[in-house]
Amino acid sequence: MSRLTFAIPSKGRLKEQTEAWLAGIGHPLRQIGGERGYTAEIDGLDAEVRLLSAREIAQGLIEGSLHFGVTGEDLLHDLAQDGPEDFQVLQRLGFGGADVVVAVPQAWFDVDTMSDLEAAGAAFRKSHGRRLRVATKYLRLTRRFFAQKSVGEYRLVESAGATEAAPSTGTADVIVDITTTGATLKANGLKVLDDGVILQSEAAITQSLRASFTAGARAVADTLVGAFSNSDHKF
Amino acid sequence: MNHDALVAVARAVFEAAGGTPIDPDYVLPADIPLELSGEAVRARLCVFTDNRGAEMAMRPDLTLPVAQREAARLEAARLEAARLEAARLEAGPSVKTYTYAARAFRLPAAQDDPFEFTQVGVERFGYAADPSADAELFALVHRAVEACGVSPKAIVTGDLAIFPACIDALDLPAVTTDLLKRAFRQEGGVRAVLDAASRPLEADILAAIEAPDTEAALNAVLAARDVPLVGARSLGEIASGLRARRAAIEAGGLPETARTALLALRDVDCPLVDAPATLSALAKAHALTGASSALEAFASRVEKILGLVPGARRTASFRAGFGRRFTYYDGFVFEVLAEGLAPTQPVAAGGRYDGLIAGLSGARVCATGIGGVVRPDRMARVWRTDA
Repeated sequence: MSRLTFAIPSKGRLKEQTEAWLAGIGHPLRQIGGERGYTAEIDGLDAEVRLLSAREIAQGLIEGSLHFGVTGEDLLHDLAQDGPEDFQVLQRLGFGGADVVVAVPQAWFDVDTMSDLEAAGAAFRKSHGRRLRVATKYLRLTRRFFAQKSVGEYRLVESAGATEAAPSTGTADVIVDITTTGATLKANGLKVLDDGVILQSEAAITQSLRASFTAGARAVADTLVGAFSNSDHKF
Repeated sequence: MNHDALVAVARAVFEAAGGTPIDPDYVLPADIPLELSGEAVRARLCVFTDNRGAEMAMRPDLTLPVAQREAARLEAARLEAARLEAARLEAGPSVKTYTYAARAFRLPAAQDDPFEFTQVGVERFGYAADPSADAELFALVHRAVEACGVSPKAIVTGDLAIFPACIDALDLPAVTTDLLKRAFRQEGGVRAVLDAASRPLEADILAAIEAPDTEAALNAVLAARDVPLVGARSLGEIASGLRARRAAIEAGGLPETARTALLALRDVDCPLVDAPATLSALAKAHALTGASSALEAFASRVEKILGLVPGARRTASFRAGFGRRFTYYDGFVFEVLAEGLAPTQPVAAGGRYDGLIAGLSGARVCATGIGGVVRPDRMARVWRTDA
């Protein structure tokens, strides 16, 4: 890894918005092999550009196999073993915004806060002989947040997708998921707890604190940081 | 002494005190620790998936599989007694002591923690749960550490029955009492509950729980608000949750006196020899007369411990919050620390878990339990630093 490795999302709105942001700070992206290629170049930067999924980028930054990347703060905070000690968010990019929240059925009129949830979980265990299930793909984030809030009466169920449907299909009773407008939660009969916002996440350009930088890579990194610090390009 | 010599020495100390040697199952359904203790233990649990997708775990300690074995034995004995209709078999208490020198498995919390290690220890079931039993178990573990040539630098003790007893003594609504007791055992502690604000119930919901047929009234509220009933909780469960919350709101939240009492108790950290006086002064200052029997038992245990292990007068301390994160322990708890090791790496530990057998058997059988272990791998590190 003598060159700076810089990963950006390989598809979807996150990719489009990242491309627009790069163009805005004067370093447009050129994809090699057309739209389907997985490598690219950035004008004016001697960097190895990789197109990866947002989750792979977060993982790579945490492990130190990538120097820089654009990914969601939700993924960074969830995948980092010890919280934010493996990475440093250099700039939030103003797009890809979403909240990671704890949501329960709207019909649970007796549950509005995390501490209500703990009380409901304890009563549930007594009458059902098992713990309340919480479906999420954010396993670490959920465990850390619930522990801080002194909530222990639950079991995690890993969810691969369509987490918001878990309570209505019966695979879980509570969810921890990402939401932008809350419309999907509402459509599934769910509500966010009063103190249930775990993280307000945005896409962010992030530096790995685990990766080692050669002098050359460091110089390229400084050029990039200079470019976006001096730019007032906002979305 | 090297690791294996330490195992042999410690084992001899425990076996000399009596008991059946045991090496129970290495692999348990992950449900056992997770349902018993919650997700908090998952961070240290070595979990894998079997060929049908069920989550299994390597035993994180010996207490759990030994207690599981004992619960199964007691259940079988109970069934046998019922079959023979022999009331006589149930008359005498069934007591049992197990000793072991066996491998346990945990995800490392620190870089120098191993994945697998040997625990040498003892578990006792069904004996009277009194201050003498606690003190004798403590003295036995302490003797094993000393026999291994390691001198305890510090001993931290706690009593997980004191906090609940003081909460009971505050005379709060049941829902708040339960919440505080559970919060005491969670990472966020009672502070998270003391700081949480409860908001008033909305008018239509309040009216519904006052209606003669609460469930029908709640159903009408669901229909009026166009809210579906999803998840495994029934309307009856939601109604009783609402009633508990209303009771807490009507009681006007936590009184300031209760708050100061709990925060003062939480901060107690003193030499063990001074702890009975400190706690009784605190109980007096905050009018916790209801906690007196728990405090008397505590004082009697301290006296017996200091009688059996005079050195503890110098080395042992008491911390009110100590052990609150030890998931299935519910009474006396202790850890023994040695020179050169981190406070998170005790060379010995133990405590009382009277609710464990009931928890493992779905309350079909119950038995008191107490146990303690030493860690030869850590004592070997003490020996290497000394050399």
